[in-house]
Amino acid sequence: MKCKKITGLLMALVVLFGALTGCASDGSNADRKVVVGAAMPVFDDKWLSYLYDAMKDGAKDKNVDLKMVDAKNDSSKQLSQVEKFATEGVDVIVVCPVDTAAVKPMVNVAKQANIPIVIVNRIPPKDVMKDVDSYVGSESIKGGIIQMEEVAKILNNKGNVAIMTGQLGHEAQVKRTVGNKEVIQKHPDMQIILEGTAKWQRAEGIQLMENWLQSGKKIDAVVANNDEMAIGAIKALKEAGKLDETVVAGVDGTPDALKYVKSGDLDVSVFQDPVGQGKGAIDTAVKLAKGEKLKDKMVWIPYELITKRNVQEFEERWDVYNKNKSN
Amino acid sequence: MKNQQTIEKQAPVNGRVRVDWKEKGSEVVSRYGIFLIFLGMVALMSILTPHFFTYFNLINVVRQVSFIGIVAMGVTFVIITKGIDLSSGSVIALVSVMAASFAQGGHSLVVPILIGLGIGALTGLINGTIATKGMIPPFIATLGMMTAARGMALLYSNGRPIGNLTDSFLFMGSGDLLGLPFPIIMFLVMGLISHLLLNNTKFGKSTYAIGGNEQAARICGINVDRHLILVYTYAGFLTGIAALMLTARISAGQPSMGVMYELDAIAAAVIGGTSLTGGIGTIPGTMIGALIIGVLNNGLDLMNVSSYWQQILKGIIIVTAVLIDSRKNRKS
Repeated sequence: MKCKKITGLLMALVVLFGALTGCASDGSNADRKVVVGAAMPVFDDKWLSYLYDAMKDGAKDKNVDLKMVDAKNDSSKQLSQVEKFATEGVDVIVVCPVDTAAVKPMVNVAKQANIPIVIVNRIPPKDVMKDVDSYVGSESIKGGIIQMEEVAKILNNKGNVAIMTGQLGHEAQVKRTVGNKEVIQKHPDMQIILEGTAKWQRAEGIQLMENWLQSGKKIDAVVANNDEMAIGAIKALKEAGKLDETVVAGVDGTPDALKYVKSGDLDVSVFQDPVGQGKGAIDTAVKLAKGEKLKDKMVWIPYELITKRNVQEFEERWDVYNKNKSN
Repeated sequence: MKNQQTIEKQAPVNGRVRVDWKEKGSEVVSRYGIFLIFLGMVALMSILTPHFFTYFNLINVVRQVSFIGIVAMGVTFVIITKGIDLSSGSVIALVSVMAASFAQGGHSLVVPILIGLGIGALTGLINGTIATKGMIPPFIATLGMMTAARGMALLYSNGRPIGNLTDSFLFMGSGDLLGLPFPIIMFLVMGLISHLLLNNTKFGKSTYAIGGNEQAARICGINVDRHLILVYTYAGFLTGIAALMLTARISAGQPSMGVMYELDAIAAAVIGGTSLTGGIGTIPGTMIGALIIGVLNNGLDLMNVSSYWQQILKGIIIVTAVLIDSRKNRKS
C-alpha cells in the first residue's frame, strides 16, 4: 500500500519533469537558433520580473533559445553560472549583475571562451566596461537626478527632504541617492534632514515613515529610491493626515505606482523601461551572435519623468505590454 | 528569565526551605531581568530623544512589533521543544499572496482569512511531520519550507504584488478597535492565549517536558511526534495571523514580503529568555523581546542614526541584552 503510494508519487514527478523539460526543448530541430545564456540576479523582484518577461518576449520574436538562470543575489553563484554558459558554448552571454563590482571575473570568463558578453540594467565600472561588448540600460544616477529635480521644482527649491534608500550597497541605492544629493547641493535652501533604508520594501517603508513622523521634524518631501517604499511612506503619511503637505517621490513607474500617481498620492515617479531594456538586451545579443557591428556599444534606454500630467501615457504602455503578453 | 522556576518544575529535588532574602532579591532580578533591561532601554531612549515617550509613538512601536511578536510566540513554542522554525518569513509571503488573491472583492471576508490561517497551519503541519516522521532536524525541514514557500509565493503571484484589496480586509492592518490599532489587540490576545496554553495546560507542560528531556517525556507517555507536529502547526497558524495583518497593513499581497522575519522572530524569543537548548522560555518574555527590537528600531530612526550604524548598534545591543540576562541567570 505504502509502496504503491510512493511509486505513484514518483510517476507523477516523472511526468511533471517530462512536461517541463518538454517545453524547453520544443523546436530544437529547426534551423539552428541563436543561444543566449542570461545570468539574472534574482527572480524575486517585481521590476526585474518585467525585464525578464520582455527578454523572453524578445527571444520569442527573434527565434532565440534563451536560457535564463537565477543567481539568488549571490555574486559567486552568478560567476559559476556564467562559467557554465561558457563551457556549454552559448552564442552570447547576457548578465544583469548581482554586484557591479564583481563583474570583472565574468567578463574574463566570457573573453577566454571567446563569447560576446552583454551587461544589462546595472553598469559596471569603466575599467571593466572596456572589455564588455555592450551595455544596455539606464544610468541610475540620472534616475535620482530627474526625480529630485522635479521634487525641487514642486517645492520651489526650498524645504526639508527625507531620503528613503533601498537595500544598502545595491548599485541603484547608491547611485540614485548620489543623484538626489547632487541636485540638493545645488539648492542652498534644500536640506536632507533624514536618511534611512527601507530595503526596497513597502512594509519597511511604512515603518520607517511612521518613525520619522514621530521625530518632530518638519518633512516637506520624501524621496524614495523605488516606488514600493514610496507607497509605504504614502500609507503612513495618509494615516497621520500629513500626505497633503508632503511631496512623495519614487522611481520605477510600476503599474501599481501609476495608480498612486493618478490619484495624486505619489507626486513623482521615474520610469525605468524594463521592456526597452529587456528587448534591447536580446536585440543586441542577436546582433553580436550574428557578427553584426553595433552602432553604439552603449545602448541607453532613457529614464522618463512621470507626474500626474503624463501618467496616462505610461498606463497605456503597460496596457499594450500586458495585452501582448496575454496573447 | 523563568530559568529557575522551570528547572524547579522539572527537578523538584534539593529541598531548599530557608528563605534567603539576598537570594530572593537576585531571584527577582533574574526573573524580571529582561524586563528591567527593557525599562532601562525605554528610559534611555526617552532621555536621548524627546519624541520617543509620547502616546502616539509608543502605540506606533507596539503596532510595529505586533506582527513579528505574534510570529515569535509560535517560534517560542518551537524553540522550547529544542526545535527551530526558519520558514516563518517565507510562509508570511505565501499566505500574503494567496489570501490577497481572495480579498479583492467577490468573496466574503471569511474566505481570505480561512485561507490565510489554513495555509499557515498547513505549512506548520508539514514542517512538523517532516521533522518528526522523517526524522530530519527541524533546521533542515524548515529550511526546506523556507525555500519552497518563497518559491510557491513567487509562482502563485507571478512575482508581482496583488493589490486592490477590500476595505473590510484592510481593517485587519489599519483599523482601530476599542481605541487601539487592531494588530495591537491581536498581539495582546494571542499573547494571552499563547501564555495560558504554555503555562496552564497539559499541552504546555508537555512542550516544556519534551524540550527538557525528550527521552524522559517519551517514557512518561507523551506522544512526542504528535505533540511536536501540533507545536509546529500552532507556530504556522500564528504566522498566518501575522501574515494576514501585514498584508492588510501594506494593502497588497507581496511575494517579497517577510524576508529575514524568521530571524527577527527567533531573536525576539531568544532576547526574551527562550533558550536555544530547549526547555526554557515564556511568552511574556518573548513579547518583551519583540518590544526591545521595536524600541531599538524606532529610537534609532527617531534620532536619524545612519543606516550603517543602525545595523552595527542593533547587533551589539541585542547580544548585550542577552548577555546581561544570561549573566544574571547564571549568578542566581
